[in-house]
Amino acid sequence: MKILIAEDEIILQESIVKFLKRDAHICETASDYHEAVSKISIYEYDLILLDINLITGSGLDLLKLIKREGKKIPIIIISANNSLDDKIEGLDLGADDYLTKPFHLTELNSRIKAVMRRGKYDGDTNINFNEIKINTEAIQAYVNNKSIQLTKKEYDLLVYFITNKNRVLSKEVIAEHLWGDNIDAVDNFDFIYVHINHLRKKLTEVAANYIKTVYRIGYKFTDEDM
Amino acid sequence: MNQKKKVKLLKKTSRSFFTYSLIAMLLSVVALYFITVYIIKDETKESLNSAAFRIEKLIEKDGTLINVYPIINTEKVFALKVEKIKDTLLYDLAEEEIEPYTELTKYKEIHGNVYKISVRTKALELHDVLQAIILSLIIFLAVFSSLYYLNKKKIESVWKPFFDNLKKIKEFSVQSNQSINFEDTNIEEFSELNTEIKTLTDKVIADYENLKHFTEDISHEIQTPLAIIQAKIDNSFDENQISEKQYSLLIDISNNARRLATLNKKLILLAKIENQQFKSSDRINFTEVLKKSIENFDGLSELPILIKEMNHIEIYFDEYLARIIADNLLSNAIKYTPTDGKITIESTNNQFIISNTGYESIKNPDKLYNRFYKEHITKKSLGLGLAIVKKICDSFGHSIHYSFDGNMHIFKLTFK
Repeated sequence: MKILIAEDEIILQESIVKFLKRDAHICETASDYHEAVSKISIYEYDLILLDINLITGSGLDLLKLIKREGKKIPIIIISANNSLDDKIEGLDLGADDYLTKPFHLTELNSRIKAVMRRGKYDGDTNINFNEIKINTEAIQAYVNNKSIQLTKKEYDLLVYFITNKNRVLSKEVIAEHLWGDNIDAVDNFDFIYVHINHLRKKLTEVAANYIKTVYRIGYKFTDEDM
Repeated sequence: MNQKKKVKLLKKTSRSFFTYSLIAMLLSVVALYFITVYIIKDETKESLNSAAFRIEKLIEKDGTLINVYPIINTEKVFALKVEKIKDTLLYDLAEEEIEPYTELTKYKEIHGNVYKISVRTKALELHDVLQAIILSLIIFLAVFSSLYYLNKKKIESVWKPFFDNLKKIKEFSVQSNQSINFEDTNIEEFSELNTEIKTLTDKVIADYENLKHFTEDISHEIQTPLAIIQAKIDNSFDENQISEKQYSLLIDISNNARRLATLNKKLILLAKIENQQFKSSDRINFTEVLKKSIENFDGLSELPILIKEMNHIEIYFDEYLARIIADNLLSNAIKYTPTDGKITIESTNNQFIISNTGYESIKNPDKLYNRFYKEHITKKSLGLGLAIVKKICDSFGHSIHYSFDGNMHIFKLTFK
């Protein structure tokens, strides 16, 4: 997938590129508004990550420009501004998602995949990993074509694992993905273990084995040996 | 502070004008009456004196005694007496009735004889004077009323720009970002007042905008470096060569970066509530918001959440803030409930009650809603959750009350 990262903070831009490249994406960057405008007009992208506060202009203006030209490109806004008004405005202008800084790169990754899965962009709405299949439209998971009953959190967990396969996910990152800001209510994240165990029990023995424990840190979803 | 009773400016000015004018008028009418009576009596006395003097001269000349009833009477008497003036009643032949007369009686010795000279003139009747004065009073009142009416109209037109502008000031809202535009007036004081108020409100608008931008800028400036820290850590998680020790170090950094980000977000939220940047007030179903919140907490803790009663609460509120209230109160309950405790939730017509098990009452209930207040230092809490709840309640007119009863901490939220 070819992704344009329009972000004026160079270090953040580099980190995102480094992370996404590991999933074999082709990443291009734009460090200011004008660079972004010219790149969008010349090249075709499969997705644009758009910072609202670009040094020389507003990401929202860029968004308007893209939509005015009738381009059908998925756009995810990344912004330091947590204001609800900006979020609503961005989504109203046609952005597909809005992510507030700071965010986990794994969270960004799962948002990118969720956007791509949307029917709007003719993506595959199913997630496949060996014998596991997830129909994201029906919110239903299958193992060896047999449906399994998962709670909402377990389902979210499985999707998050597969979209971030082969990456180490700390307990904190998992908790934050599932409960957002509400994780403030608890002092530690050891309880994640309980949820992982429930999920493992619902999968087949082989599938359960994909969830590898990384001692004291977290988990990694992989079919490779560690 | 004692508030003074408020009276409308126009009423106050016209009322005092009316009262003072009326008092002045009544006093002048009374004075006019006495002055008129005095002057008339004085005049009568003078004319009687001069008539008596002429009669005296006639007697001196040829001793003629004139008697014209009822106005002149002269006669010879034996002794001199003191001159006197008095009012008396006499029968008037011309009018055929008894009339009041003023009579001057003088005693004079002329050529060895003593004469008593009485001259009389018709006394002025007091009710005539009174009548005249009442008539003039009526004329006065008529003139006064029309003047009062004209004056009132005039005052109203003079003060009109003041009242128009007062209305504009009342309608002024700092959030609207619209400067006040006053109508021009030819009254210098009003013009000065308008200029001053305009300067003041423009300053308030500018300050408010600055403050808003400041919080937004701060947000940007803090969140961006935190995003970089987070991204760097996330990337190093993917690098297999790091040791377990380095891993836990990175997780500590990551957790604290998140704490900082949360703190920042909450402080900005507080500032925005204080700046009244949330103004949407839609009819929302608080119970639905609450259900979503409870659902989202599912699995986060093992604590049982018992729902006692779940009636619909329909209120005018900002949905985003309603969710924050529900999340924060639930989060607070989960945080402070012992592992063997429970949480109960109840929603009735306009009240939402959340209680959780506790061993003893909060020591400082009055500080409960203060920023960064922590009852237990050991708890990893920012101490902003309840401050935010309170702030939201205050700015939307809802109320929250804490109590401790039967080993339960109880938060009762009453909607307006």
